[in-house]
Amino acid sequence: MKSALRRAAFAAAVVFALAAGAAHAQDPAIQVLERGDFLLSDALTPPPDDAPWQPVQLPDNWFLSHPGATQVGWYRLPFDLTPDVARSTHGLYLPRNSARRIVFFFNGAAQGGNRGYGDPGARNWSPPLITTVSRQLLRPGRNVLHVRVEAVPEVRQGLTRVVLGQGGSARPLYELRYATQVTTFFMFGAAALLCALLAAGFWLRERSDTTLLWFAITAFAWAAAAFPWLHGAFTPQEFYHGPLAFAVRFAYAAPMLVLCLRVAGDRWPRTEAGLWGFTLAGLVLAGSLTEDRQGGVITYWSVAYLAALFALLIVLIRSQQGLRRGASRLLTAALVLAVLLNAHDLAWWMGWIDYDSYQLAHFHIPLVLFAIGATIIDRHFLAVAAVERAKVELEGRVAEKAREIEANYARLREAEHDRALALERQRIMADMHDGLGSTLVGLLGAVQMGKPPLEEIERRLLDALQELRLAVDSLEPMDGDLGVVLGNVRHRMRAAIEESGVKLYWRVGELPHVSYLTPQAILAVQRIILEALTNALRHSQASTVTVSAQAEDGWLRIQVADDGVGFRDPGHSRGRGLDNLRRRAAGLGGTLDIQSARGAGASLVLRLPLTQQSASS
Amino acid sequence: MPEASAAPATTVALVEDDRATRERLAASVRAHGSLELLAEYSNGSEALAGLVLRAPDVLLVDLGLPDMSGLELIRFAAERYPQCDILVISIFGDEANVLAALEAGARGYLLKGSLQHDIAVDIRDIRNGGSPLSPVIARQMLKRLRIPGHGAAAKRPEGEEETALTPREGEILNAISRGFTYAETAQMLGLSVGTVHSFLKRIYRKLAVHSKTEAVFEANRLGLIR
Repeated sequence: MKSALRRAAFAAAVVFALAAGAAHAQDPAIQVLERGDFLLSDALTPPPDDAPWQPVQLPDNWFLSHPGATQVGWYRLPFDLTPDVARSTHGLYLPRNSARRIVFFFNGAAQGGNRGYGDPGARNWSPPLITTVSRQLLRPGRNVLHVRVEAVPEVRQGLTRVVLGQGGSARPLYELRYATQVTTFFMFGAAALLCALLAAGFWLRERSDTTLLWFAITAFAWAAAAFPWLHGAFTPQEFYHGPLAFAVRFAYAAPMLVLCLRVAGDRWPRTEAGLWGFTLAGLVLAGSLTEDRQGGVITYWSVAYLAALFALLIVLIRSQQGLRRGASRLLTAALVLAVLLNAHDLAWWMGWIDYDSYQLAHFHIPLVLFAIGATIIDRHFLAVAAVERAKVELEGRVAEKAREIEANYARLREAEHDRALALERQRIMADMHDGLGSTLVGLLGAVQMGKPPLEEIERRLLDALQELRLAVDSLEPMDGDLGVVLGNVRHRMRAAIEESGVKLYWRVGELPHVSYLTPQAILAVQRIILEALTNALRHSQASTVTVSAQAEDGWLRIQVADDGVGFRDPGHSRGRGLDNLRRRAAGLGGTLDIQSARGAGASLVLRLPLTQQSASS
Repeated sequence: MPEASAAPATTVALVEDDRATRERLAASVRAHGSLELLAEYSNGSEALAGLVLRAPDVLLVDLGLPDMSGLELIRFAAERYPQCDILVISIFGDEANVLAALEAGARGYLLKGSLQHDIAVDIRDIRNGGSPLSPVIARQMLKRLRIPGHGAAAKRPEGEEETALTPREGEILNAISRGFTYAETAQMLGLSVGTVHSFLKRIYRKLAVHSKTEAVFEANRLGLIR
């Protein structure tokens, strides 16, 4: 912050030092001609001494001393030279090429002028003028310099002080002035062109940022304003003398003001429209007025521009209150300088300050462009920092979400586990209830009712033990192999089968893997087959029983068939038991089909799917 | 290996700590003419002492003994008396217990609560070549003693080759695991029942060896043996 202020102060100090130290170095080899006589006359050679000369003090601003149309006038400037000084060549220096035509006459003989200035800057940007004075034209003692001047008072033409230096002593003055007025101007033009290209390049990458576009337009307008003054070779005569030159010179104003407004973060459509209107009106006026009448336009223009800059400065300061950014302070400082520099030039234009003063307004362009560039870059880094912050915040939120999800997942898993446990408990309870429990209760009932035969009790107890063993078997690893499940039922019933004397045909082939063989499913299949086999062995009076199992059209088909007495009505006979079996089959996603006829044996067919979305029974 | 029918009575010893079960089993043995009850023990140490005096043809062992693990007793008896057939007494004949007993050297199991007649049949079966193997256990044996070239054999203990099943042994176990009896299996594979029995004996041996090498392999893996 402080360094920015210091920088601005330093820049201001340099500018004022240049302006103040303009011409009058106290060098004994240098004479400044300030007093003489003036005569309005369009004579081509110096008028005689008895003409009506009037005393005059240089510099002479014709806007103040001879307002009106273009005229021709003569200055008579006497000066003294010592004999030895008179023998050396001299340089004649004017701080500014201040008139349309200037011709010098030393002791009556023509010697130089501004005719040789081929570059348009000679007129439009008032460069200094220097010419060599041959020593043959000078003499010891009193000499007289006549200056013929053709000037346009409207555009503040006239004659500056005339500086006469012995030898090359006036040259450094000329060079300093030239560097300040002209070289800087070209430098700024080149810099602005570079800025314009860079900004345009950035804008092409980032179309949404219109400040970049306005920055490019402003910089380019300024580069264009500087370009015609580079050299006459680049620019046709009518362009740099005519209204177009004037128009180009002021075309940068509106885009620059719009740019400043946008950088300040505001869009003021009406103000922007006003600026465009103002620029357009100025261009039209400048194009339609002759040079003799352009002065008023320039005055209004300069005043309006200065006012606009000042207003902008106020807007900027107010809009950035509380925004303690280096870049915005820099822009404010640049605008303060712009206002000062333009005020200085306006004061010169109005004739309020010395006619020989530097013109400084063009210095504000690079300052403002630099400050705006810095603001844009600063904004870019602010955006980057904001993105970085947002990223960090987002990462934090994502991490938090991840933790939440993980916690949810853990809860879910726990709930799932609890649910599985509950289901298993429920299953075991149901199995105990349906199987072992009911068998034991039935047995207890039989014992309490009276005295059942011991064989009956033994049979029932064996049934209960069988139930229990099947339940234990359902927990064994069957690896999805239904063949093992069926084989196990046979293994468990080995004693009963042998005892019954029935011939068992076992036709269990290699069976495809079954995906849903949970303990629950195994138990259900075991019960169905056990029930079917037990029925066949105990009740059918069959001599053979055939158990077959094979894969068929994506299903498993398990059949228990006997050649026993059969039963008439499959739906009725032993109905409850069969309903139970059907329910178990349905729970597995399968079907149970029972066919029988009296005297024709019985067949039970269980069809099971190979895969199952969800087994529930 | 003595053939059953014409031979003298098969001697049976019994190790069971539950008195009721012991008495019932003893009664079952006594009831059968071809069986002779040699001794009954209520714990492991008694049994060890008795076995030294006289080894029976068939030893019935309960796994849950008060003074030692039934498996230890089985391992001891199987090593010391190869001619003695050992049957485990189990309520459920569940895979984990029975397989461990088979690995220790048992040849089958008796279900507690079987009918007297069945117990005699089981003992007769084992003298004839082995008690019926449950399909679930056959399946587990198939998994343990993989036929070479099947599955990931890379990271297996040494000696795996000698305990791996031959294709024929695999076929036999596969048939048993699907519920076929030994006779049916023999018929399906075009073998005699005796051949099936001897195949099964080889398989049991492999299981015992396998469990030992597996134990060594595990111990190596855990750094217990150097």
